[in-house]
Amino acid sequence: MNTPRMKVRHALILIGCLLVTTSASAIVADAQPKADGAAITAQPGSATTTPVVTLANEKTTVAVSSEAYTKPKAKKPSTADHSKFSELDKDFKTGPEVTKACLECHTEAAKQVHNTKHWTWEYLNPVTKQKLGKKSIINNFCTAVTSNQTFCSACHVGYGWSDDSFDFTSEANVDCIACHDTTGSYKKIPGLSGHPNYEKMEWPPHSGKFREAVDLKKIAQNIGKTSRQTCGACHFYGGGGNAVKHGDLDSSLTNPKRYLDVHMESDGLNFTCGDCHVSDSHEVSGSRYAPTATDDEGALIRGKRNGRNPTTCVACHGNTPHPGNTTITAKLNAHTDKLACQTCHIPEFARGALATKMSWDWSTAGKLDEKGQRIIEKASNGRVSYDSKKGHFTYDRYVIPEYVWFNGNVKYTLFGEKVEGDKVNINTFLGSADDPDSRIWPVKVFRGKQPYDVGNETLAVFHTAGKDDSAFWGNYDWDKALEWGMREAGMKYSGEKKFVETEMSWPITHMVAPKEDAMRCEQCHTENGRLQAIDGIYMPGRNNTPLVDKIGFTLALLALLGVLIHGGIRYLMSKRG
Amino acid sequence: MERMYIFKRFERFWHWSQAALIMFLMLTGFEVHGSYTFFGFQQAVAYHTIAAWTLVGLWVFAVFWHLTTGEWKQYIPTMDKVVAMFRYYLTGIFTNAPHPFKQTRLKKHNPLQRLAYLFVLLVINPLIWTTGWFYLFYNSWKDWGVDWLNIEYVALFHVIAAFMMLIFFIAHVYLATAGHTPTAHIKAMITGWEETD
Amino acid sequence: MIKTIVGFIAGIALVAVIAVTSAQSLMFNITPSPYGVEETAARIQANIQSPEMAAHGWKLSGLRDPSRAVASAGSNVLPVLLVEACSTNYSGPLLKANANRIFSILMPCTITVFKNDDGKTYIGTMNSGLMGKLFGISDIMDQVAADQEAFLTFDPDKPAPPLIKIRPGGGGAGGTDVGGC
Repeated sequence: MNTPRMKVRHALILIGCLLVTTSASAIVADAQPKADGAAITAQPGSATTTPVVTLANEKTTVAVSSEAYTKPKAKKPSTADHSKFSELDKDFKTGPEVTKACLECHTEAAKQVHNTKHWTWEYLNPVTKQKLGKKSIINNFCTAVTSNQTFCSACHVGYGWSDDSFDFTSEANVDCIACHDTTGSYKKIPGLSGHPNYEKMEWPPHSGKFREAVDLKKIAQNIGKTSRQTCGACHFYGGGGNAVKHGDLDSSLTNPKRYLDVHMESDGLNFTCGDCHVSDSHEVSGSRYAPTATDDEGALIRGKRNGRNPTTCVACHGNTPHPGNTTITAKLNAHTDKLACQTCHIPEFARGALATKMSWDWSTAGKLDEKGQRIIEKASNGRVSYDSKKGHFTYDRYVIPEYVWFNGNVKYTLFGEKVEGDKVNINTFLGSADDPDSRIWPVKVFRGKQPYDVGNETLAVFHTAGKDDSAFWGNYDWDKALEWGMREAGMKYSGEKKFVETEMSWPITHMVAPKEDAMRCEQCHTENGRLQAIDGIYMPGRNNTPLVDKIGFTLALLALLGVLIHGGIRYLMSKRG
Repeated sequence: MERMYIFKRFERFWHWSQAALIMFLMLTGFEVHGSYTFFGFQQAVAYHTIAAWTLVGLWVFAVFWHLTTGEWKQYIPTMDKVVAMFRYYLTGIFTNAPHPFKQTRLKKHNPLQRLAYLFVLLVINPLIWTTGWFYLFYNSWKDWGVDWLNIEYVALFHVIAAFMMLIFFIAHVYLATAGHTPTAHIKAMITGWEETD
Repeated sequence: MIKTIVGFIAGIALVAVIAVTSAQSLMFNITPSPYGVEETAARIQANIQSPEMAAHGWKLSGLRDPSRAVASAGSNVLPVLLVEACSTNYSGPLLKANANRIFSILMPCTITVFKNDDGKTYIGTMNSGLMGKLFGISDIMDQVAADQEAFLTFDPDKPAPPLIKIRPGGGGAGGTDVGGC
């Protein structure tokens, strides 16, 4: 019998060919950008030209087509050349001085900023009435802003917020540059209460590297529109480092390739954040605190302000986004009644150069080596897996999201709220299969272990960073850090703490893959597929009816056996007779 | 040996195209149901939908044909000789006993066939068609005012009907060999001419 | 007579079908890994560089990321890392005889580490033992198979080693000792 051996040979030849081809195209994973402890940076920005997209009428089959797009020529985006303004031709000593100069012409800008979440770090959820915003919530990354403002305010659009005495009505304290710099040379340093370094300083600490003093005049004269770089300076680095927090936002989106984000591709559509997150009076649309999970109203005509969120897929693509009217595209369009676009079109997150943080265990923080020095361990992917200051982490890339029913309402477990048990959901995405406003959404679930005040039965606030002797990152003393943090947050530490498991969900909505990389039907319509955990809906291919199947196939098999036996007897009898 | 023209051209065309479509619908349908992977889910759904619509088209013609030619009367049930037919399939067929039913142009189906086809026409087909249509137009339920329906049950009954069709299919294919020679019925369905003893 | 021939042909067809359908599981082994893609690859590399394996002549000859090549072409695939290693202890004798020089096509020895849609990491290896038997080079390939098994035996008590990013191709063409082939 020669056949199997031949097959084996053919298989081997194939393997050989594969080896050779992969050799030819070998590219090795390299260039892992710096992660934890990196300063907030903004890269030099190119001219932020807004590509023109074709918008069709509401509820048409395709509102936006990437094929129809031609790349615009680079041209000056502004009608004002700020380098020609005498107001800006000064040797500014501090950020607020620059702001004052800005306000001489842009008289209302600071007042507008004062009304935004970027300034207040506060948000009142109109549905749940919960007071949210960075100022109020506890998360399971660095946990809380309270008592740590000098560091956290490196991402505040203001200058000087170091404690509760900060004047939120001061116009000069608004930081215009953080969002409008185009030089990439502006960095707000953690620990300087939202200021850049006005003098040459060592950064990162003890690194032996020095940062030159910021050149405010040059920056002011090159002021411009926001860009992926300026927004990314904070939003890519949330949670204390590049790619840490969101999973769908990191520095690889500064100049993304097509595979990573089809809208932001720097050689393609080249969208800036602001192209989707349309601003009005400095209020940027599209907030995670009150996302739009469902929009049935079709494409939103550009410029139309009717209270709808312009930062959704539907706002441009409509509710029947798949072109043509074939069996398949009709079926895909029909899926929009249950699925968020993101579920199929962002099959995985953290697809850039960087892994995102998936878990953070504070309970192991504080271990020191024999010499009493801070320990830092790294995982195989080069990211920190243990830091005495912070505990254990895990990172992953190309993460398969988890999926939940979501109607846009998020309920938080806030500081002071009494919670019991060893597991706390920092936030809960509300929604269900029965709710017509719910869609199935992909989320990053971030799992942590963090301090809990046993006496007060609440998630605890602790003092992480500071030059005092209570900051955990200075003395590794939980009780001191907790006492200070809880006091700043307005509560007396009971003296007894434990570590509770926490979960926090993050909506996945960036890193939109090219359409040919969208999820395939059989990734969900199968047993143990992507949506196995989603309840309340019937999905062909996933829910095969085990009892009916068993009975049906048994009966069919019996029928087959019956006819075979019957036929067999007929055959034998005909032979005999 | 007698020859009789039983199945007219349209009837033969209808039978075989319907047979092919039903086999294809079963193949793709059970894949959509998750019983196996063959075409891949997306293709299976597309093929299943196209085949279903084709069958609808075929049926429009078939219904018209049955009504205008009066051939629908072939399915009027009778209990006459049903027991004899059973007895024949259980014993007589093995001993070359004479067939209890004499085929004519006006009565081309034996009493068991009549009952079986009537069951297909009145139970399996309505079940599979209605559930199939509701399944297909799932997204229009709200507009139709039938969103109280539960897709899970619609799909369940569609699958039950499919299993009944599968069992019918097995029995039907086998009994096609139960003519006076194993291929007699099949030949008749191809040429239209039935040979009888 | 005809029946015999038909039966014979049917037999051949059946064997062919079995061979095709079971070829994958015969030729390759796939085992789940308790670690992520990077850590699995790094632990395999560390095992290859262990003193015992170094004594058998094993050296890392490269680390490839074919998924990154796909990404730079504009598309997404889940992570894949190819760990490549070679040992002159085995490649040397194999390359000596004219009849065996074709087996250089299997060099270097590749272990693939990949993530599947279920989010889990898997390790794929070639069934070196079977290959040896098929081509009459069991004496060498059985040792390779045994070593390969050692590559995949992880010690969970050891901390995660760093991933060693070696550009492939050092061995033969470069003239350095990188690669071991």
